[in-house]
Amino acid sequence: MKSFQALSALLTYPSAELVEAIPTIRHILHEEGLFGPHRLTDLDRLLKRLATGDLWDLQEDYVLLFDRTRSLSLNLFEHIHGEGRDRGGAMLDLLEIYRAGGLDLDSTELPDHLPVLLEFLSTQSLETAHDVLADAGPILSALAERLARRTSPYAAVLETVSTFAEAGDDAASALLAAQPDDDPNDLAALDQVYAEAQVVFGPDPNAGCPVSRDLLARMDAPQPQPAE
Amino acid sequence: MSHLLDRLNFFKTLRKDTFADGHGQTTIENRDWEDTYRSRWRHDKIVRSTHGVNCTGSCSWKIYVKSGIVTWETQQTDYPRTRAGMPNHEPRGCARGASYSWYLYSANRVKTPLIRGRLLKLWREKRRTLAPVAAWAAIQSDPAARASYTRIRGKGGFVRATWEEATEITAAANAYTAKTYGPDRVFGFSPIPAMSMVSYAAGSRYLSLLGGTCMSFYDWYCDLPPASPQTWGEQTDVPESADWYNAGYLILWGSNVPQTRTPDAHFYTEARYRGAKSAVVSPDYAEATKFGDIWLNVKQGTDAALGLAMGHVILREFHLDRQVDYFEDYCRRYTDMPMLVLLEEQDGRLIPGRQLRAADLGGLGQANKPEWKTVGFDDSGKIVVPNGSIGFRWGDAGQWNLEQKADGTEVSLKTTLILDTDHDDIASVDFPWFGGLATNGFENDPRGQVLARNVPIKRLTLADGRDVQVATVFDLLCANYGLDRGLGGKNVARDYDADEPFTPAWAERITGVRRDKIIQVAREFAANAEKTKGRSMIIIGAAMNHWFHMDMNYRSVINMLIFCGCIGQSGGGWAHYVGQEKLRPQTGWAPLAFATDWARPPRHMNSTSAWYAHTDQWRYETVSAREILSPTAPKGDWEQLSLIDYNIRAERMGWLPSAPQLRTNPLELGRKARAEGIEAKDYVARELKAGRLEMSCQDPDAPENWPRNLFVWRSNLLGSSGKGHEYFLKHLLGTDHGVLGRDLGQEGRQKPVEARWHDQAPEGKLDLLVTIDFRMSTTAVYADIVLPTASWYEKDDLNTSDMHPFIHPLQAAVDPAYESRTDWEIFKSIAKKFSEVAPEVLGVETDIVQLPLQHDTAMEVTQPHVADWKRGECDLIPGQTAPAYIAVERDYPNLYARFTSLGPLLDKLGNGGKGIGWNTETEVHHLKALNGVHRDGAAKGLAKIDTAIDAAEVILMLAPETNGEVAVKAWNALTKATGREHAHLALPKEDEKIRFRDIAAQPRKIISSPTWSGIESEEVCYNAGWTNVHELIPWRTLSGRQQLYQDHEWMRAFGETFVTWRPPVDLKTISPAAGKLKAGEKHVILNFITPHQKWGIHSTYSDNLLMLTLNRGGPVVWVSEVDARKAGILDNDWIEVFNSNGVLTARAVVSQRVKEGMTMMYHAQEKIVNTPGSQITGLRGGIHNSVTRTVLKPTHMIGGYAQLSYGFNYYGTVGANRDEFVIIRKMNKVEWLDQPATQEAAE
Repeated sequence: MKSFQALSALLTYPSAELVEAIPTIRHILHEEGLFGPHRLTDLDRLLKRLATGDLWDLQEDYVLLFDRTRSLSLNLFEHIHGEGRDRGGAMLDLLEIYRAGGLDLDSTELPDHLPVLLEFLSTQSLETAHDVLADAGPILSALAERLARRTSPYAAVLETVSTFAEAGDDAASALLAAQPDDDPNDLAALDQVYAEAQVVFGPDPNAGCPVSRDLLARMDAPQPQPAE
Repeated sequence: MSHLLDRLNFFKTLRKDTFADGHGQTTIENRDWEDTYRSRWRHDKIVRSTHGVNCTGSCSWKIYVKSGIVTWETQQTDYPRTRAGMPNHEPRGCARGASYSWYLYSANRVKTPLIRGRLLKLWREKRRTLAPVAAWAAIQSDPAARASYTRIRGKGGFVRATWEEATEITAAANAYTAKTYGPDRVFGFSPIPAMSMVSYAAGSRYLSLLGGTCMSFYDWYCDLPPASPQTWGEQTDVPESADWYNAGYLILWGSNVPQTRTPDAHFYTEARYRGAKSAVVSPDYAEATKFGDIWLNVKQGTDAALGLAMGHVILREFHLDRQVDYFEDYCRRYTDMPMLVLLEEQDGRLIPGRQLRAADLGGLGQANKPEWKTVGFDDSGKIVVPNGSIGFRWGDAGQWNLEQKADGTEVSLKTTLILDTDHDDIASVDFPWFGGLATNGFENDPRGQVLARNVPIKRLTLADGRDVQVATVFDLLCANYGLDRGLGGKNVARDYDADEPFTPAWAERITGVRRDKIIQVAREFAANAEKTKGRSMIIIGAAMNHWFHMDMNYRSVINMLIFCGCIGQSGGGWAHYVGQEKLRPQTGWAPLAFATDWARPPRHMNSTSAWYAHTDQWRYETVSAREILSPTAPKGDWEQLSLIDYNIRAERMGWLPSAPQLRTNPLELGRKARAEGIEAKDYVARELKAGRLEMSCQDPDAPENWPRNLFVWRSNLLGSSGKGHEYFLKHLLGTDHGVLGRDLGQEGRQKPVEARWHDQAPEGKLDLLVTIDFRMSTTAVYADIVLPTASWYEKDDLNTSDMHPFIHPLQAAVDPAYESRTDWEIFKSIAKKFSEVAPEVLGVETDIVQLPLQHDTAMEVTQPHVADWKRGECDLIPGQTAPAYIAVERDYPNLYARFTSLGPLLDKLGNGGKGIGWNTETEVHHLKALNGVHRDGAAKGLAKIDTAIDAAEVILMLAPETNGEVAVKAWNALTKATGREHAHLALPKEDEKIRFRDIAAQPRKIISSPTWSGIESEEVCYNAGWTNVHELIPWRTLSGRQQLYQDHEWMRAFGETFVTWRPPVDLKTISPAAGKLKAGEKHVILNFITPHQKWGIHSTYSDNLLMLTLNRGGPVVWVSEVDARKAGILDNDWIEVFNSNGVLTARAVVSQRVKEGMTMMYHAQEKIVNTPGSQITGLRGGIHNSVTRTVLKPTHMIGGYAQLSYGFNYYGTVGANRDEFVIIRKMNKVEWLDQPATQEAAE
């Protein structure tokens, strides 16, 4: 879905080109309606800021947030592996997933850069996108919360992907809406329903190293909910 | 997921396919489980590299790469073997280095060029209508515009920029500065070339082609021990770590080997297994302490007292009461002990003066430089001029050697005149006494100003008719050590328990070390050296060198080694491992690094003096010359001068370099001299004498004398090595700072005489700070432009160490991450941009370069007496009584063409180093074949230096250490001076030429060369001084021998002719800051020292998160239990540490390890990680250097005088910082200052 490409663009360094693309981005987000009205309202705040804000301020802001603030790094593995031994291996796994998806990384960014991942997902099926983002859910929600605490409009993007991953009401209905109707005569589709789900974020747990398996398990574990 | 069920656990299958006539067999079972380790260890290539964080390790690592991503590293284990009977070098590498592949992808990396947003905005605005240099000029000439970005340095506000734009701004700033003020206002700071010498050379080559200033580091870091050049004329030369194994007795003196020299520590362990005994000297219970057979827990800063007492014991038992033949013979041949010293009469008292010279006695038949030839008595009582003194080095081919000869005949020198038949009289001689000046809780020992001691003397009549008394260095030395030789008189002792300097009982009082331990260690140390002919070694760390009176600490130790004949002997000697100072292929590297293939000389500057002046630390000077002056100083205006005044005089007399050099733009001077048709030196001399031209040093605060552009690369100047950090922030950068003290003007104290005083000190001298780094270090945070560079697995480079004799590569295992480029490519692109931009204002220019009197050139024998031309004491003769002035052609539009090609001067003038030169036509020819030649342009026909590997090949081809043919040439060149054959040391390797690909395949042992004083051989390990002792090559000192007596006028003035006890100086930083304490607030005042840390030094950075997790996760300061109790501090409390220099915040580590009265903050903990705000300044708490300020020592400024002559990183002022005291209190409020600063700064 193009919406992921749009979110990817929103998380890139603000440039004149990006500012120019804001109407298109808004259009796509609304047209595909993948994320539901609440999220779109939040995203509009960022779109507005990007469209109308002083580009210098936007850029300074971006560098401060994403280049300079470690806890907001858009390199996802920074938050689970940090400067740990497994980081190289994990990035490699991701690279292989991209390749399996028919794409080769052609950028100076590392594979775990969130805009890279989002762009990749825009070329994949919605289920894949959901599963991948669900795996990364804890990181995404942590980033969303940190940005929200700073009242940064970028929080909306992270909110969006994170709620999508959680398959909350809005996203779940969008998912349902996007599902094609069943055709009991389509045997191939039936086979697919019965087939085992493929885990595509991170290494295949059946083949991967124990460390990344544990890591995926950790990411899958339910997050402690804040007391009401 | 388990693979348990994938294979049969109880059965084997019967179904077998066989092949190869039954020799092979096929089994069918699931082998997916193997993927587990395949995936863990997957890689598609392995590349050899190492880590270059100023780590002397130079350890070989295998870097594993898969799909362009570094996955992990392991230690490489293929070093060439040592010889039989010796342990091998490997495994080398420590856990800190092993964590590097993880740090490679840290979020702290700089991804793209960053520029301060306000600066870029200004730039784009101006650039719309203006050419680059004009655009920069427009910004600089508008004070409000300039201040808009300089005042917010360190407060964020970065935006990303393209390389194109970042290099254009930089180049335009450089061109503007060169045109407006002079190219020497462009400074560059980068340390320790040995850790990545091509990366260093990239920047210094650019600067040198520009005429910019390359700043020193070894002296600024205070890793340079001035005692080494003072004693040996040698920067620092040490044994490789393998030689520890050959020692019989090892003293670890302030060196924490297992912690800071991890990959070498195994040799120390192995030596102890073999039976070597080890003593450890450290004030705290350091990691190394537990390995010692005996621990001498010396009070910090009193090491000289300990060393003097040990020297006292050694002289008493091994030289006086019993004379060990080996020691006696060694001292006679290899030290200045037999040389004669003139006893000067001053106010009716006798004081040791100059060493007597042949010239004093009418030349004694010496036509060449008799004033530089020391003399002694031979056996027959005749005065002779023995070979080897510095006068023989320049002008007497073939006699500069340590053969026991004078005037062609064999002589045996007398070291003592103690026998009644040998002396004319016993005279009472005064030695200065400083022990009564102790403050701040150091043991005060008042004994008056001088100690008179009896010495046997001889009477002589000099050529000028004066009747004088002389004594040998040895006799004076024994008196200096307080040894009673039955000559009567006071201030000497026979009994170790007497309270006389420097007995063990006296030292016990000063140092806190029990006298029996002192006696025991001294005795064992010497006894071992006697039995093994010098195999006693002292491994020494920076700890002792960082005190203001470091020379006393070091000379007390060096003397012990010399008394016992340990220097130049395998398994013995002085092992000072501080800073990766050993750039093994130095003479091959220098032409590349300083562009001497295009123009000579380059501009070098000693950083300590430069930062002292340009960060205005001199304006806050608390130490007066009077406090450090000797009571026996010769007549003079010593007391009227402040420390910067001494530095200014030193610059004027040509002793020290200057930066900037002259107040007037040297390009303009070049034009004027050319217009008048007179030589540069004559023009400058005339104008200086007339007072129309002034040296910049006289007015460091005048805008035309400020450094304008500063490059910092491979360094964290502001985060780890900027002594007086807050003064850097205030005056150099002009941003928020924590300086609490007031300057001399505000305090109404005596102002300097030579330096011009401005009531209002400038703030923000720099127009542009460019930091080139791969991580967002503290220096990067303060920069105007940050350029992302490649790290050690992303570039090709060379690396050497003093710890092992191999040359090692860094290699690009992967491409530089994000948009980063290698240092070589960065400076190449700046050079390219500069060539494009420069023609706007610059063409081919004549630059007049000022050069101080250089060590290892004939300039080192120009000033036998001190005379200042400015005060009419002599004429101004450039290169003799003043710096030399040399016209150099700069082709600015072709700077890039010059950068990327090997210039013609190597063919024309050859190459060399350390006083010898050789022809390099063959090597230049080989390089043309190897690297290819430029087909057109300004460098047509010259060898290419396009890539970093091309640059590495230049180094390897030109250096004797890596090209056997050059080594043979170099040794033959030395033969001309010494008259002795040395080439045998390299002949077996004449055909060996080490290339970059060779060291990529395996680290290679270098080839013996005269650049170094040890040899590479299959018989002995590398050890310093070996060729002096065994090849009879003189030390590069006045006497040509190990110089225990320093006779320069300034040495005499400041009381350091001999080693003596000087308590730490009082920096008086407490009382101006004490007002920050609330009435009755609990606190403690402690001596602040900054040792190297466990979790960073040297192989990774202190913001490495994994390393931080191993300790407290942020900055810490260690405090003893007793002191913590006094200040009400509990372990892990947040504390504030401050004095008049500034403030820092950290957590307290309360530990029994630390001695009462002392506090330790590990070096280089960044303020970018977990550092809260200070209650005093309201700013983020500083770094360890926030509470320091550097203080210069006049004896380090001496020049034009044999071993006391300037060399880059070789001799000069050093940045001492351990005499500092701080107030420590608990913080009651911890404020993290987490809001962005941009809003408030925007007003």
